[in-house]
Amino acid sequence: MNTRHLVIAVAVALLMGALSLAFGRFGAYMVNAVAIAGIGALSLNLLIGYGGQISFAQGALLGVGAYTAGNISNAGGDGLLAILGAGVMGAIISALIGIPALRLRGLYFAIATLAAQAILEYLFKILDPITNGVSGLVIRPTTILGIPMTSDRSLVVPSLVILVIVWVAVSRLMRIDLGRSFLVLRESEIVAKGMGIDVAHAKILAFFASGFIAGLAGALAGFANRLASPEAFTLDLSADYIAMIIIGGLGTWTGPLIGAAFVVLLPEAIQRVGEAAGLSDILSPLRELAFGLLIILFLIFEPRGLTALLSRLKPRSLAVPAPGAVPATGESLPP
Amino acid sequence: MSLVAREVTIRFGGVIAVERMALEVSPGEIVGLIGPNGAGKTTFINCVSGTYRPHTGTVRWLGDELLGLSPSTLLRKGVARTFQNVASLHDLTVLDIAKLGASARKDRQSGGHLLDFFRSDSALERELLEQILEPLELADVAHKPIQTLSYGRRKAVDLARALAAYPQLLLLDEPVAGLTSHEGMAMAGVVRNVRDRLGCAVIMVEHKMDVVMSTCDRIVVMAAGSKIFEGLPAEVQADPEVRRVYLGEP
Repeated sequence: MNTRHLVIAVAVALLMGALSLAFGRFGAYMVNAVAIAGIGALSLNLLIGYGGQISFAQGALLGVGAYTAGNISNAGGDGLLAILGAGVMGAIISALIGIPALRLRGLYFAIATLAAQAILEYLFKILDPITNGVSGLVIRPTTILGIPMTSDRSLVVPSLVILVIVWVAVSRLMRIDLGRSFLVLRESEIVAKGMGIDVAHAKILAFFASGFIAGLAGALAGFANRLASPEAFTLDLSADYIAMIIIGGLGTWTGPLIGAAFVVLLPEAIQRVGEAAGLSDILSPLRELAFGLLIILFLIFEPRGLTALLSRLKPRSLAVPAPGAVPATGESLPP
Repeated sequence: MSLVAREVTIRFGGVIAVERMALEVSPGEIVGLIGPNGAGKTTFINCVSGTYRPHTGTVRWLGDELLGLSPSTLLRKGVARTFQNVASLHDLTVLDIAKLGASARKDRQSGGHLLDFFRSDSALERELLEQILEPLELADVAHKPIQTLSYGRRKAVDLARALAAYPQLLLLDEPVAGLTSHEGMAMAGVVRNVRDRLGCAVIMVEHKMDVVMSTCDRIVVMAAGSKIFEGLPAEVQADPEVRRVYLGEP
């Protein structure tokens, strides 16, 4: 167990908890949104940043989690059971999405995940008995271990607890054989095979683990919105998550959360600035533009994202040579 | 004989890379595989280690057929290999690589990975440091990412990975190529020590004749995909045909 990571995760969660108390209902809403996005980003970073498998279907996987949790909870199941069920369903669907990765690599596989995203979106719309079609599944307020989750303020607690568990679990995962084999897989499948790593096995487990975490995030998102609808889990959401992990720093431990906070809070910030300046009509569409620009800039100048930028700001004497201190994509660095 | 290879043939298009190659190795024996470039030495190693699938032939290890098995299955059976060119693996430290090698010793199911979450590996870490990294002079860089190391040390890391699996059959593909003579001799010493400790069979492809002569118990000479000579190091040095093919004398 990496004690430093555990301490950081708990401290960040406590800080977020304090913020949710300090800024009232809106604060709780934003903190919950950041925590959920953080969990989702951790799941995608596990797949792309550590495992090297590019996927555009993470948005739909969150949807699988939301629908699963919504149905379990609406049927009277405890919220915790609903969240775990969402994780299991997310893991299974993710492993199915991963099967083409056994044959396809890189961009070719990424295209296959685009298809998976489209198929899942379609299923959300037509599987009426489970998903309630285009109008979406209304999720009644759930109870977790008997405690009713009536507001964002109460939902913040399970979100932050799950965030800490997932965050620490990912840290631990990268220190066991399975996580190490993900890193080799990311660099080269040929090398991984030569080193005696069962590539197919490792890949499917990467999808399974990532899908489980995405399912948890989807369940929490469903409870927060009290609705699971096809429009909420589109390719746009997948793109948002990819933006988060690139802006935060691919393959880093803190990156997903930093990126999630950035991507969730940036539109709010733009909105506020717009309102203050009386320009909200003009500034709102800037969100997409800002994301696109940021991703391009990060890929060119700092593939390791905000995490690397922040660690560079640290005084040298304090800088800890973290395992992620070296660029993951040496080729994309300027010479 | 515990490794018995017979009639191993592999073609790439019209090129016959290895033709009816035969080789036998006993436990505790270090066999040197030498020959000019293109003789098929590495290709033969690739066949034994599961990277290539030969068209014909058998490779039996303690009676079990090895051909057709994947590298990961072979590693669990105790067949480990090193590579001529070492891969640069970002983010992984020397100790990480050694642990990946050692993971072949654990035969486990998917669920076993879950147990790993709760198991401390500090005992394994100590063992790898003392048994593997210390003799290879890697203990001081155990926690450094491997791309910060020199070429010679990276080759040592690759050997450490193979040794961490505690192999019964060790296939070394040019373990000392590109190393300084000091590094090369140290590496050869480690190979002999490992052989003495584990009693494993070793096949070593190598061009550096001083290392081959001083390390190997027996030498097999390949040319144009086949074995042309086999004998003790002294016999190989004295054989006129070997000298003509390999050492370039008339």
